[in-house]
Amino acid sequence: MQMTISLHQLQRFGLLILVVLMTLGGTTGCKSKKKLAREQAAAEYASKVEQATKDLNAMLNDETTWTLEEKERRFATIKSWNLQDENVLNLMDQVEDMLSRERAEANRKAEEERLRQEEDALRAREAAKYNSIESQFLAIAAAPDMEAANERIERALSLFASPDVPVLIIISQAGGFNDYDRPTTISKYLNYLKDQKVYNNLIEQVKYDANGKITELELIKK
Amino acid sequence: MRKINLILALMIGLIATVNLQAQDDLSAERKQAIDSLALEKVRDLSKYISIIGSKSTPWSEANRVIDRAEELFMLDAEIGVSSLARPEIDYYKVRQYFERLMRLNYDRVEIDWFKIEYVSDLQRQPDGTYVGVITIFQKFKAYDKEGGLVYEDTTKKDITIYVKRKETQIGGRIIGFWDVLLGDMRVKETSK
Repeated sequence: MQMTISLHQLQRFGLLILVVLMTLGGTTGCKSKKKLAREQAAAEYASKVEQATKDLNAMLNDETTWTLEEKERRFATIKSWNLQDENVLNLMDQVEDMLSRERAEANRKAEEERLRQEEDALRAREAAKYNSIESQFLAIAAAPDMEAANERIERALSLFASPDVPVLIIISQAGGFNDYDRPTTISKYLNYLKDQKVYNNLIEQVKYDANGKITELELIKK
Repeated sequence: MRKINLILALMIGLIATVNLQAQDDLSAERKQAIDSLALEKVRDLSKYISIIGSKSTPWSEANRVIDRAEELFMLDAEIGVSSLARPEIDYYKVRQYFERLMRLNYDRVEIDWFKIEYVSDLQRQPDGTYVGVITIFQKFKAYDKEGGLVYEDTTKKDITIYVKRKETQIGGRIIGFWDVLLGDMRVKETSK
């Protein structure tokens, strides 16, 4: 048996040692990276839990200046994190309830505002429709003397089917029905404007006949 | 059939009750509207008196305004007239008062009402009529041909107000309205 180790054998043994060392070293490095990643993930999760808790509490206690939309967006972001922290989940339930109530209230107000705007627009259209009649009433009330007022009354009367066309004046609207003043006629009403020198009503409704003459006039007190 | 009749009778009764309640139990808003309406009628009268008393108002026009003014009053209502020259107060029927006012023997008169306000709020009576009292102060000034002031006084007068809900049919529909009528106009005091 030859006990001498050739140079070539020594080289091969050294290479083997090197490979073993490199393998062992590589495994240890990989384990450290995973641990680091786990630690980073845990820190990130803890940070999200902390941030979510802070934001949710702020929303619940009304300590933010966020609009409802901003709060809803923030809540959606927190929800997307899928946090399983019991406290956060509890806060999320409460905030979700609160936001749905606020959303319902906001929707109700928006609907009210929409209806009010529609009503205003309708009123404005109606008012514009009756502008020419009302301007005649105002002209009678503002006439400088009796002769001028009488001329304006004659002109205004031409819009009506007869001098006896009924004029109704609403004094209040409540509970779905109207309270009226004693009904009068257009002739008396126009003279009333001349005598009192003031027109302080608005036209609520006008009825016309087939000839386009007014057959009934409904006014409402301003 | 009997059941249907009974249900119909109950429904009609319910509607009638609701309607009556709507008329009787006035909300503050509706009461306010009626209060204002009554005050407005008194202010209208103030203007009518000024027109009737004015010597520049043509006779036909004054008579037309007397008709309008008379419509504001209850039948048989009276208006008191006082003077600094005598202690007694004369009462005239409304039409008679206005006709006297139109023929006052002065060249020019000025009649102004001020401080028109409730002294007794409208109160509902058992028959459904609302009754109240409005007080007014009337400043009367009379001038001669030369434009000199020959007489003036200030009179405090109380006017009883009656407001009753009535119904009328217009254009095929029933209109519920508040009829404001003025009662007696009593002189309370007259001063220079």
